[in-house]
Amino acid sequence: MNRLLRGELLKTRTTRSIHAFVAGGVAYTVLNVVIIAVASGRLDEVAEKEEALSGLPVLLMLWGLVGAAGEYRHRTAAPAALVARRDRGALLLARIGAYALTGLLIGALLVAVSVALALPLLADHPGADLTPGEVTSVAAGNLAAFVLSAIMGAAVGAMVRSPVVGVVVVLLVNFAVLPLIAGVAESAANYTPFGAAAVLVRSTHHTTLSPGAAALVLSAWAIVLVVAAVAGERRRDLA
Amino acid sequence: MVDDLSFTVRAGVVTGFFGPNGAGKTTVLKTIVGLARPTAGHVSFRGGPVPSDARALGVHIEPCGAHPGRTARAHLRALALLAGLPAARVDEVLETVGLEQAAGRRVGKYSLGMRQRLGLATALLGDPEVLVLDEPVNGLDPQAIRRLRTLLRERAARGRTTLLSSHMLGEAAQTVDDVVVIDKGRLVHTGPIGDLAQGALSVRTPEPERLSALVESAGGRVRPAAAGGLWIEALPAAEVARLALRERIPLEEITSRTASLEDVFFDLTEVPSETRTEGRRA
Repeated sequence: MNRLLRGELLKTRTTRSIHAFVAGGVAYTVLNVVIIAVASGRLDEVAEKEEALSGLPVLLMLWGLVGAAGEYRHRTAAPAALVARRDRGALLLARIGAYALTGLLIGALLVAVSVALALPLLADHPGADLTPGEVTSVAAGNLAAFVLSAIMGAAVGAMVRSPVVGVVVVLLVNFAVLPLIAGVAESAANYTPFGAAAVLVRSTHHTTLSPGAAALVLSAWAIVLVVAAVAGERRRDLA
Repeated sequence: MVDDLSFTVRAGVVTGFFGPNGAGKTTVLKTIVGLARPTAGHVSFRGGPVPSDARALGVHIEPCGAHPGRTARAHLRALALLAGLPAARVDEVLETVGLEQAAGRRVGKYSLGMRQRLGLATALLGDPEVLVLDEPVNGLDPQAIRRLRTLLRERAARGRTTLLSSHMLGEAAQTVDDVVVIDKGRLVHTGPIGDLAQGALSVRTPEPERLSALVESAGGRVRPAAAGGLWIEALPAAEVARLALRERIPLEEITSRTASLEDVFFDLTEVPSETRTEGRRA
């Protein structure tokens, strides 16, 4: 497994995609902090201040999705399977693991940027400052959401096998279907992958779901998608 | 669509896998290496399942399977890691295929011939016992074709096995020992390439079925030729003429000649005569 993971990790960092996703993630993080901490008026509640630290898990989902689906788009999955000396399911697990690890690294960078930028700006707002415990909790929630989103993205990418189709579906679900669900039953929306991720990164406060419960919901989604992707990978042709 | 196809590749030789475009060659190769699953039947590799091990089986099936945004060296390094091969093999195979100078360039900038050579380097990474190559000479310049030919013959001399597909029998004939010819997904010929190039009688008759049965009963071998003609082997022309006279089978033509490999290929794959002419011009 170690050699498979190392091989897949090398693949994740030897195309330009990683630079684009890191740049996009940093740009969004800076924009989010500035909009919330500077341009949103008074932030006197802890939940409002936590929102300034919230990341964009869908970006990491797209990172995993584009990378994993690109393996089929560019036919790179076939030569990897031919040399791996393990079954395709094990190879896909290594690939998903590689996107989880790179998701963790990208996520750690984004969390560091948001904390470094937001805390000085939030200190100017009235009300209690975020305690180290609260900052740690938000940072951990963001990291967990980033990693689980990268895992889900890679699993979906392996099932869809088309980056374009996968990206369109994810964006449609995130920006069109989820708001519709939230409009009908807000609490139900929190049990979707995007809803649970939003709770975890603190970009929504309208929830009865705790961050810990949201992490469990998101983990359950990730497990289901990974199991489905591995089963499909073992059954489908690579030709 | 491949149907009821069965053949054996001898160890230690280069086997050419031929057929016209659309005959099913790539489908068969993908099935052999395990990238596609047959609806029925199986592939046996030295009596067991086909391994996913670069040391046992090296494969190049178009396209080359490298991300266009990745350099050739990074592509091969990743595969070497996945295969558990030493990193030094990357430089060795890059040198073997003549890509060492371009190894740092992104594959998207490569020409067709360079991508073919990268695919070949990928297949050679584990110095495999068995090599499966799909149309490996496509896009290669004459120098690269000669290099490939030398490489495959050297491998055969070391007891390594190669199965390569092509729709250009004449070119590949200089490299292969055995041939497998398919058409419309079915096997039409298998055996040593020498069998295809030997002398034969070109015979035309309005009663080809009767003459075929007669010749075969006398120990001759019959293959169909284009436009209803026959290739007859292992019987002299005088004997064929005597048999036909005895059974009152009219003969319109009986010519002793050595068939070119292309002629045999066209006859085996039932390519219409008009297409043959165009194919030869091309």
